[in-house]
Amino acid sequence: MAMINQEKCTGCKICQTYCTVDAIGFDGDKCAIDPNLCVECYVCLRQKVCPQDAIEPVELSNFYKEFQHVMSDPVENHGVTGVTGRGTEEVKTNDVSGRVKRGEVGVCIDMGRPGLGVYLRDAEKVAMACAKAGVKLAPAEHTPLAALMTDISTGKLVDECHDYRLLSVIVEGQCREEDLSKVLMALKAVEQEIDTVFSLGLILRVDENGMNPAIGCLDGLGIPRPHRGKVNVGLGKPLSLK
Amino acid sequence: MTHSLHRSGDIESQKKDFNWFMYQTKGVNDKNIKAKALEFIAAAEAVGSENWGDVKTGPITQYRSEEIREKITDKSRIRGVFTNKEQVVAFLKRIKEKDLGMSVVITGVLSEVLPACKEAGVTPHSINYSLGVWGKKDRLPDDITLSITTMCGHHMIPPKFVKYIMKQVQKGKLTPEAGSVKLANFCYCGIFNQVRCADIIQKETGRETP
Repeated sequence: MAMINQEKCTGCKICQTYCTVDAIGFDGDKCAIDPNLCVECYVCLRQKVCPQDAIEPVELSNFYKEFQHVMSDPVENHGVTGVTGRGTEEVKTNDVSGRVKRGEVGVCIDMGRPGLGVYLRDAEKVAMACAKAGVKLAPAEHTPLAALMTDISTGKLVDECHDYRLLSVIVEGQCREEDLSKVLMALKAVEQEIDTVFSLGLILRVDENGMNPAIGCLDGLGIPRPHRGKVNVGLGKPLSLK
Repeated sequence: MTHSLHRSGDIESQKKDFNWFMYQTKGVNDKNIKAKALEFIAAAEAVGSENWGDVKTGPITQYRSEEIREKITDKSRIRGVFTNKEQVVAFLKRIKEKDLGMSVVITGVLSEVLPACKEAGVTPHSINYSLGVWGKKDRLPDDITLSITTMCGHHMIPPKFVKYIMKQVQKGKLTPEAGSVKLANFCYCGIFNQVRCADIIQKETGRETP
């Protein structure tokens, strides 16, 4: 993690401007990083924001601190998935991997985004709500959060990780198109129970016009139709067979 | 990651904001990617990609194009920014013609991206649709700040830094363009649209470049 060398700190508070999650406090004399709020994104370190060079790296003390750092810093590669940052492929390579097939919906929940961060206890609530509503959560070889799950069929995380705060982590899985309404209703319920935000993405196979009628279920739930999308334009090989 | 998907702000402004991506798939086409990555970069530069980069090195707003190219490895992620539909069409046509076999993703407002795909002669395979932000939205920063910070989906741009840059522009110490480049440098991937950012800063501060 990062810490502020108290002997070097002059209390100028410049570093506070550059903290992504407001984790740097000031006691009237010196600045200090609150380890319970810091997400280990390393922006303060990489951008060399301190004129006194008082911000220093400290060895990450356990697996959860390392996980926190890898999820919060996009420069890092996740050890299992091999993908940078939060390490998930979602729609990006679906034309090659065929991970989300016709009749299926990829559910991609960016916990803590935009910018609030997320304690893993809240990520667990959302994962468990999804699993209960019919989402088959992605396994550890596809998405990092699964490495912390005691049971991938329920979304339960190991208790030891609950109080770690990350800049973001993705709850990822798939459901059948006919279960999408049920999943969205579950998300509407659980959004009331968490102390942060999430950004929701739904991955669907589309026709030649970029459409999929399954998205129509949003109307009945009072959810606005999406105007933004991340479009895999189908130039990858081999193409998914389904 | 879905770091380009959930941008926010005025829709007309978002219509001038596209991201392009080359993706390798683990275990399928993720070895010796450099030559293909260079083809993507060449196509993007030919049509005027305003920003691009590799998360392992950084964006061209901060690093020389040659340096980013030299440092490309199989762990690299190559991506960038377009500011109009015509660039997207021209880019897709070039990449289709090259037939590189890598996954290509374009993120943006669907009413712009889908017609661009059609015009370029490519057929969308899958879409990750943004259903926006859920949960405790009252804890979020103001909409203007969010319209800037969400252009780095990894959220490497601190909201307080946006406020600081706005103040510097208001005081006349920075132009909107110079301020937007300072913000862009925090987005290692090179997907931050500094052109759109300068527009937002200019509108918000009432300051124009002399």
